[in-house]
Parts: sequence; C-alpha cells; structure tokens
Amino acid sequence: MKDGNAIEVKNIKKSFKVYLDRSSNMKDFVIHSKRRRYEYRDVLKGISFDVKKGEAIGLIGHNGCGKSTTLKMLAKIMYPDSGSIEIQGRVSSLIELGAGFHPDMSGRENIYINASIFGLSKKEIDKRIDGIIAFSELEDFIDSPVRTYSSGMYMRLAFSVAINVDADVLLVDEILAVGDANFQAKCFRKLREIKAKGTTIVIVSHTLTQLEEICERTIWIDEGLIKEEGSPREIHRHYAKFMSDFSLARSADEADGEEQEDDSAIEQTKKENNKEMEIFNVQLFDSEGKERYNYVTGERALLKFDYMAHVPDRVSMELVILRNDGLECYETNTFREGFPLMDVDGKGHVEIEIDKLNLITGEYWIELSIRNWDAVPYDYKEKAATITITSVERERGIAKLDHTWHFSHKEK
Amino acid sequence: MINIFKEIYSYREMISSMVKRDLRGRYKGSVLGFFWTFLNPLLQLAVYTFVFSIIMRAGIEDYYLFLFVALVPWNYFASCITGGASCIIGQQNLVNKIYFPREVLPIAHVLSQLINMLLSFIVVILVLIVSGKGINIFVWPYLIVVILQETLLGFGLAMLFSAITVYFRDMEWFLGIITMAWQFLSPVMYSVDMVPERLVKLFYLNPMTPIIVAYRDIFYYKKAPELQDFILGTVFGVIVLVVGWLVFGKMKKHFAEVL
Repeated sequence: MKDGNAIEVKNIKKSFKVYLDRSSNMKDFVIHSKRRRYEYRDVLKGISFDVKKGEAIGLIGHNGCGKSTTLKMLAKIMYPDSGSIEIQGRVSSLIELGAGFHPDMSGRENIYINASIFGLSKKEIDKRIDGIIAFSELEDFIDSPVRTYSSGMYMRLAFSVAINVDADVLLVDEILAVGDANFQAKCFRKLREIKAKGTTIVIVSHTLTQLEEICERTIWIDEGLIKEEGSPREIHRHYAKFMSDFSLARSADEADGEEQEDDSAIEQTKKENNKEMEIFNVQLFDSEGKERYNYVTGERALLKFDYMAHVPDRVSMELVILRNDGLECYETNTFREGFPLMDVDGKGHVEIEIDKLNLITGEYWIELSIRNWDAVPYDYKEKAATITITSVERERGIAKLDHTWHFSHKEK
Repeated sequence: MINIFKEIYSYREMISSMVKRDLRGRYKGSVLGFFWTFLNPLLQLAVYTFVFSIIMRAGIEDYYLFLFVALVPWNYFASCITGGASCIIGQQNLVNKIYFPREVLPIAHVLSQLINMLLSFIVVILVLIVSGKGINIFVWPYLIVVILQETLLGFGLAMLFSAITVYFRDMEWFLGIITMAWQFLSPVMYSVDMVPERLVKLFYLNPMTPIIVAYRDIFYYKKAPELQDFILGTVFGVIVLVVGWLVFGKMKKHFAEVL
C-alpha cells in the first residue's frame, strides 16, 4: 500500500446469481430442478480507487449501480470475486443502526450490546458511555426499556452509539436522514468533527448536498463502473443533468399513448373533488423550453400551469417555494405585487418567469394556490412541483445573493 | 489463522453481551423469569421419576437419577445442534449489515447453552444430595474435562450446521429428527451394558457415547471415568471441531450474499 493511503481498491468485480423464477414449493422444486434457470448479473465490473488518509469521498449513482455493494465490500461484509481491497486501520461502518437492540432491555444495556457488536471492549464502552448518552439527549429515558421509546428516540440512541465508535476509516450508508432536523444537523456537525480528527470517510448518499459539505471527492458509479470521479460540485452537476435526462426520457416513453387518459383523469378528479376552481398541469421548463426539474443555482426557469374556474369570480394567485424540510424560502402573490383581482371564468393558463433561480443546493417544493378576494383558497396545490437545485459554488444558506467582492489592500 | 483468534478475542465483549442478551432475554416477560432455568430440569426430573419409578419400572437402581445425570448434558448437546443451526440465519440482520468475525455467533450460542447446563448442574447436585445418593467431590475435576470435550464437540457441530443451514434451510428441520434419533442411539436412557456385544464397537463410534458414560461415572457411580472414554471423547471433540471450523471458514465469506 502506498504511503498516505487509507484505502486501496484494485479492479474489484462482483456478480450475483439471480434466479429467474424461484421455485416456491417442493413440487416445482423437484419437477423443474433441472430447468431452474438463473443468470449471473455483474454488479461490479472492475472498480479501482484509492482514498488518502483523512480524505472523505462520496459514492453516488442511481439504485442498483453497485455503490452499496462496494461499501459492503469495504466493510468486509461481502468479498469481491476478483480484485483486491486493502484498508489500513480500524474500520467502522454506519450501515445498520441499532444492531442487536433488545426491546426489553434498557437504553443503557442496549448501548453496551450495540457498541460491542461494533467491536468495542467493555473498557472502551465504559469510557464512551457518558458521551453517547449525552449525544442522544436521552438522559431521562436511558434506564427505561427501549420498547417504550418512540421511533425517533430509538434512532437517536442508535445513531449516538454508531457515531461515537472511533475508527480510522468510517463507512456511512445513507443514514444521515435520522431524527428531526435539529438532530440531523447535530449528526452532521459530529461527522465533520470526526473528519477534522483525521478519520477517513466513505459515504454513500442520495443527498448530494451532504456530500458536498463534507467530501473532497465524489465517485460516480454507473452500471458497475466508475463513470466519473472528481470534485463533488462538478460531478454532481453532471450527475444531476444525467439523471434529469434519464427520467425525462423515461417519462416521455410513458407519456406516449397515455395523454388521452390523462385528460379524462383530470375530468374525473374534477367531478370527485367538486371544487369550484382548480389548478392543474403544473410544469417547469428551462431556458431552452425543455421540461426539467433539476436546476443549477441561477438558472432561468419558466413555471406554467392551467386553471379551471367552474364558477366565475375575482381571484388572486399565490406562489410559495419551500425547502423540503418545510422552511419557507419565498412567498408572493399577484395582489401583493400590485395586480388587481382578476376576473376568471372557465379555463386559463398562467406562466411565471423566474429569471434566476437563486436557491442553494437542495430539494424544494413549489406551492400554488388560487384565492378569492378574502384570500380564501379555491384550490391549493401543496406540492405542485418538486425541484432539485444544485449549487456550483460551495455556498451555504438558502438563497444566493448576487454580489461582487471589492478589495483594496494597502501596501505595507 | 492466528489473526482470526486475535480478532475473536477482541470481540469478546460482543460474545459476552450476546450471551447475556440470550440468557436474560430468554425468560423475559414470564412471571417466574430466570427461575425457569432451575425449574425446567426439576420438572423434567419429576416427570421422569413418575414415569420410570411408578409406571414403567426399569431394572436399574434409582433409574430417575441414572437418567437425569445423563439427560442434562444431553440437552446441552442437543441445543448446541438444533439452536446452533439457526444461529446465523437468526441474526441475518447483523450478518448482512455489519462486519464482525462470524464465529462470534456460534461461540455465543454454545456458551449460553453451556451456562444454562452449569446452572442445571446445581439442581442435579442438590437432587443427588437430597435423594441420599450422595456426591463424591474428588472426581469432580474430571467433570471439567468432560464438559470441555462436550463443548468442543457441540461447538464444532454448531459451526458446521449453522453454516450449512444458511445455504440449505431444510437442514434445520432435518436436525430435529436427527437429534431425536441420536438421543436413542446414545446411552442416555440405558447403559452400554444393555447394548448387544457385537454392536458395542459400533456404538463407540458415536462421539456422545464416551461423554455420556463419563458424566454418569462421575455423578451416578461417583467414580473417575475410564481412561479410554477420556481419550476417545477428546479425540472426537477435536476432530469434529476442526471439521466444523474448516467448513465454517470456507462458507462464511458468502453468508451475506445468500441471506
């Protein structure tokens, strides 16, 4: 192993046996035993990478691309068919939370069980237990049986144990999504702290924001091979583009021949809801006029929707953008912006041009409503559309404020 | 090879907490709780005494004691096999998601069964004293060796069958019937003297034969076991352990893929 490397992965390959039709009973098993068909599916087709000591890398890719299998091999839960993996130092994996928890035992006892499964000795657990309990914020419940915990408390306890296991190499699989937003933020701070101490980290995640905050490098795995590797923001931009093209192509396939059904479906819901006015056909287009829901901060977008007013009235329309944790990022309505109440009757079409989508990396919900003079909504679409924003700079916060830096350094 | 021992040693806390979890979790929720550990063999004894001293009189003096001192070790052995077979598939969540030396699971299972048997021995000894049969403390050092032999054997088989069961689930059910047959083919309910002369040699191919005989020598006859039983028991224990260890070592790498 090269000096300064914590992990060296060389050309690992893995295939699994996939049964095409698994016999479900003894009769089938006996009769068709000669014809039991299976095939080998290559999950990893030769992946190589190194991770330096103290470096944090992210593994991304869509479901089934092989990223979790790679992580499991790093954790020695599975072994490659060929190729080699070398890791220096103690490995701890945050792949499964709450392993070995016994519902009838107290939180404290379960900390011992769980931590011992991660390979800690009694002495090591004794040393950490106060820290673990404090981190979980469960001081008052720690001697009650775990079965009395809420699922949030359970996860908090589990995560506290996992994250307090000191290791040289930490493997994390998609588990930063535990607990409430506060606890998540705390976990994330802890992860950064761990990293600052020089721990090497490998994370598998769908939440690109998290990866950008902590990783120096992203490896994008696609169909068992490394597709791209480099700085997270660059790779994530390519990945987001790739994924939106991918899902668009798929939805285009599905859309053919279904359009007519769609219309009748709208008619149907209209009747069922018996609403006086309705918003439908909410769509987002990019500057080239293509329908798209993944954007890079600062891009231009066009939001379009149709409404149907079954009764005539004078209305205003409202647009709200929320981050996916519920934070309201922007709210406006036509009335506030100086438009008089509009006369509507029958079908109509609305377009909102957003010159610069100045939101920071994250997932956002668009809320639309159509309201009467008293601001009572006729129709209120809670998640009219979901958009994913990727920020190119590594900025943080909610919105990008256009700005310029000016410096005037005095010469000494 | 040395590494794996070192590693298992470093996971000793996991072994001990799995054992604790098993022993304490077993009777959780029942009214009598841990007391069942003692009550269970005692009630078994009551049944055997009733059947064999009142209904089906055997020609052996104090037959219920004769049977009881062999039955407790037999139960330990049987639970090593039947429970041991499912000790990997029963923890598939752990095996699928976390790395730890897989040997920990059969070790923890066998240890918890061993502790259970040792607690049952308290009952055995009390019964021997109360019944007037008496005990001979001077032969008890041999007991340690016999327990060790049986543990090697039980652990070897637990490793073997737990690994096979991962790939072949039906094993678990076969083992139920196999252990029953095995019990009847071991001198648990009868003595070796009752076995037809020409079959005795064959009988001693059963690794449990020398072990059961030794237990009975120590508790029932209050004498030291025969040297040949001693050697035979050790040889069987070591062979089975080595086979179990090798098979387990070969198969453990693919546990996570099959489960």
